Amino acid sequence: MIYTIFYGLTIGAILYFISIGLSLTFGTMRVINFAHTITYTIGVYILITFVNFLKWYFPLGAILAILTVIPIGYVIERFIIRRLYGESLDYTFIATFAVALIGVDAIKWIWGVRPYPISDPIGTYLMFWGLSLPVYRIIIVIIAILLFFGLNIFFKRTIVGKIVVAALEDKDGVRCLGISVDKYFSIVFVLGSALAALGGVLYAPISSVHPYMGLSVLLLSFAVVIVGGMGNLNGTFLSAFALGMVMSITARYWSQGAETMVFIVMAIVLIFRPIDI
Amino acid sequence: MKKELSLDEGKAPCDKPIDLLAELRSTPIKEHGVIDLLGIAAFFLVITPLLSTHRITDFMIFCIFAMSFDLLYGYMGRLSFGQMLYLGTGAYFCGLFIRYVSGNPLLAILAGIAFAGFLSMLLGLIIVRTTGACFALINLAFNHIGFFLVLSPLRGITRGEDGFGVSASKFGSLSLTSRPIMFGFVLLCVLLVFYVLRRLTSSPYGILIRSIKEDETRVRFLGYNTFYYKWLTFVLAGSIAGLAGSLTALNYSYVNPNAMDVHSNVGVVFACLIGGAGNLYGAIVGGVVYMIISNLLPIYIYRWEMFLGFSLIIIVFRFRTGVWGYIQRSWEYLVKRKVVPGAMKKEAI
Repeated sequence: MIYTIFYGLTIGAILYFISIGLSLTFGTMRVINFAHTITYTIGVYILITFVNFLKWYFPLGAILAILTVIPIGYVIERFIIRRLYGESLDYTFIATFAVALIGVDAIKWIWGVRPYPISDPIGTYLMFWGLSLPVYRIIIVIIAILLFFGLNIFFKRTIVGKIVVAALEDKDGVRCLGISVDKYFSIVFVLGSALAALGGVLYAPISSVHPYMGLSVLLLSFAVVIVGGMGNLNGTFLSAFALGMVMSITARYWSQGAETMVFIVMAIVLIFRPIDI
Repeated sequence: MKKELSLDEGKAPCDKPIDLLAELRSTPIKEHGVIDLLGIAAFFLVITPLLSTHRITDFMIFCIFAMSFDLLYGYMGRLSFGQMLYLGTGAYFCGLFIRYVSGNPLLAILAGIAFAGFLSMLLGLIIVRTTGACFALINLAFNHIGFFLVLSPLRGITRGEDGFGVSASKFGSLSLTSRPIMFGFVLLCVLLVFYVLRRLTSSPYGILIRSIKEDETRVRFLGYNTFYYKWLTFVLAGSIAGLAGSLTALNYSYVNPNAMDVHSNVGVVFACLIGGAGNLYGAIVGGVVYMIISNLLPIYIYRWEMFLGFSLIIIVFRFRTGVWGYIQRSWEYLVKRKVVPGAMKKEAI
């Protein structure tokens, strides 16, 4: 049971990395961002390239992968998302989905369809009280918690963070103060993309890597964002870990049903608290 | 939801449920209604020699599906990313009916439609409450659940990934296993669906659902129970998708989970957009164009997914009325008239 809880925490941490970007983009720009899959998957593939190239140095590869994703995120924001502000949600949905299609095909073009194996970069186990927990997963959970506090400080203390939080509440109000909101939206989008890449990079060693890997994870993180509330940062944190727990507990008793259970929870949440968007 | 909901409870003077059958009977038949049907039939008959009969049958089934999606998206403005669920339900129940109950193809099709309709009645009660992205995502979630159910817990009945064969027996002289008869039958179905949807969408009911697309709150202020009409439209779209599913099962004589694949939903969205959403002709043109792209393009262009992505972006940014809107505009330009005869009023998108 301890293992189940621990695996739930790991999955929750990964879901948190990915959904925070979705939640922020939705809260500020009112854009449902399917292109998130692409920053996530590209991050993983770049990591693989770097790890193959550098042989063993995983952290450097991870940092380089995240840094490479930042300009890609900026390009997507600048040329696709920025044109969609104020459009109906359907069109943003379709346009970002189109970006995801293009990205998946580009990945298939560059890296091929074949799944890549990538092993646990640390591979040691931490033993205490008769339990052996993989250190790598502990590190993931710790990074998630640090990130949560880091983001909280960022949004409460820094001026950029404060502007973004204000824009989550009332975009037009912030614009009336003479602040160019678009610039901050672009920062938020790039931040979200980089965090998605971080999630991908950390998740890759404990899952399989293939061009369509982003899609199923994205559906899960949509569920996280809906359960946690669109644009609600603390809600996203809680719901990511709660759904991670739902997944790992379901998987313990009924392994194929794990992902479906998340959608059932999401459907129940939507029934009792429909979101007007 | 908002407080205005309480308005529904008070009986406003025009809160009279619209009877769909009465609508169908009372709308006058316009003289070009027949010409349109003949035109569509001629269109499919003309393109048949260019490709094989089997392929065109497939195209026509997809057109039925595209029309069901268009009713939901183009007319009512609700983008669903899970319409495949109802297609798959139709296909599975049609197949199971033939397998376990009787080989009569017509009864099997009815069973497929009935079960898809029933499922959309149940799920519609939940789904229809949401709008926008939530509507799309909750549909996607249910589709995912359906796909999973078929694949794994119901493996005993559905045979999981392998699927099962469907062999319909003869019904009188109607043997749907022969290609030309299947072709004719599907063509009749396309015409029937087109006719029914056309009559419905040009009736007061159609105007109502298009008003819901424009501004639901105002429709509610007028005293209409919008929930009921949204639900009705959802069920109608689900049933028609079920018809398309049943026909798919009979056409391939085979059902497998691909009929419910979550990722195939993009296809129908794309078909509707490329043809022009909010227009039944658009759905048919878009359905055929999409099928040609997805069937023939991979032979010539290896990166066809990328092509699809770029064309979707171009459609969203530049070309929102789709192929049919373009044809309509050119026609207007040629005829130099404001309204095109025979065509529906163009939706403001």
